[in-house]
Amino acid sequence: MAKIIVVTSGKGGVGKTTSAAAIATGLAFKGHKTVVIDFDVGLRNLDLIMGCERRVVYDLINVIQGEAGLNQALIRDKRVENLHILPASQTRDKDALTIEGVERVLDTLSEDFDYIVCDSPAGIERGAQLAMYFADEAVVVTNPEVSSVRDSDRMLGLLSSKTRRAEQGQEPIKEHLLITRYSPDRVTSGDMLNLDDIREILAIPLIGLIPESEAVLRASNQGVPVTHDQQSDAGQAYSDTVDRLLGEDKPLRFHEQQKRGFLSRMFGGGRR
Amino acid sequence: MSLELDAEQVAFTFKGGMLPLTVIELASGNIERIEAQLSGKISQSPAFFQHTPVVIGLERLPDEPLALDQLCAMLRRHRLLPVAVRGGNDAIKQSAWALGIGWFPPQEGRAQPVVEPVPVAPLPEEAPPLELRSGRIFRGTVRSGQQVSAPRGDLVVVGAVNAGAEILAAGSIHVYGPLRGRALAGIHGDQDAAVFCHELDAELLSVAGNYKRLEDIPPDLLGKSVQVRMVEDQLEISAFEPLRV
Repeated sequence: MAKIIVVTSGKGGVGKTTSAAAIATGLAFKGHKTVVIDFDVGLRNLDLIMGCERRVVYDLINVIQGEAGLNQALIRDKRVENLHILPASQTRDKDALTIEGVERVLDTLSEDFDYIVCDSPAGIERGAQLAMYFADEAVVVTNPEVSSVRDSDRMLGLLSSKTRRAEQGQEPIKEHLLITRYSPDRVTSGDMLNLDDIREILAIPLIGLIPESEAVLRASNQGVPVTHDQQSDAGQAYSDTVDRLLGEDKPLRFHEQQKRGFLSRMFGGGRR
Repeated sequence: MSLELDAEQVAFTFKGGMLPLTVIELASGNIERIEAQLSGKISQSPAFFQHTPVVIGLERLPDEPLALDQLCAMLRRHRLLPVAVRGGNDAIKQSAWALGIGWFPPQEGRAQPVVEPVPVAPLPEEAPPLELRSGRIFRGTVRSGQQVSAPRGDLVVVGAVNAGAEILAAGSIHVYGPLRGRALAGIHGDQDAAVFCHELDAELLSVAGNYKRLEDIPPDLLGKSVQVRMVEDQLEISAFEPLRV
């Protein structure tokens, strides 16, 4: 049986797809057979981030509606072994997703894979609810700003009521907080919420903290998940996150302001 | 407010209000059956039937014709005052208006027809009678978009109430944690109800319909441990002074 992990947030643009791609890649690096599914029907992005947009033939909706087999729709990642992508449809809308269809796809994938990562669309509508409905664990992606925290809080409420585990009275979904685009400098200057405030409001365990980094933008545009860039702070932070998801104990990094050296101050060296 | 006119010129103002209303939620359109059941209820609690305004809820009624005029007449005979209908098709809407009562759209998520009431199994011996548990204790975080209520007693929250969440109680509200959402005590009009919290940051505080918004709360009380109650018809927020021994 595969473990189903939903990456969700409520608010858009906080880094759900980037995180889903990075986490799925990290899990595959560790030797786990992983598939990442794009639930954002109508606005598909995951294939771009994963760099496989030119290889999409069939998608999740085709599979749900029986127009294609699962093996026809799954795209094998070219860089990492054990990693597959199930893209979303660009042309249909979210109403094409059915709960029975999603369950059937997840059940079939469960037989072959160790981890199923569901990339949720923004919002709390059908697509987002279906992405989380069958999940065993949830990674709630939050930016250090008030509206993102508020939306994540709303999402946590839905996770505890509108999911199969909640409805059937099973053990609740394991919730993890992933803070992205964190900039210690801007926290110190008061532009951003600090780590402790976010943790206090959301009151769930922290699984990772991804610093604001140019590496993320570069990775998105190149279609290479940032986990591949182990030189970068964001890449390392995602690796730590994956290790913690797998139960390892890793100390938190990148949450404190860096003391800049003399040369760096002189020449304004940015962080990678 | 800049829109305010001279006090003498204003004959009335429109105000939004949330009044407690009883909804009589029909599971059958058969007037005789409703009346028979109603008569039973009257003998149980005659005090309730003193021209009590009621809303007729039709969401759970199977789609069948309903003699709304007869229903209203019957309710009035039993000293209930039908003031509005909630739900029902267009014909119902038209006949409600013809009878001079209001119509509300159906409440979402309530459209399933009712199952016939199953006789309640006798409670096991050790279970306390229901009257002892009219209040409610909620442990955990009340999150944005969630609503926790104690419609008959006090509400105790052991945890935080986050912004965008709402907690309501017929009696008092106690929050052992930060209160960042909306807290409404005394929702049925109990003036003696109060709100207590460890850390005040509430969006809205209300006791028996008298409310204060976050904007109206004196800033020096924010983050403090406070009680909120009615004092001489005014909502008063006061901090708990640290005990000096």
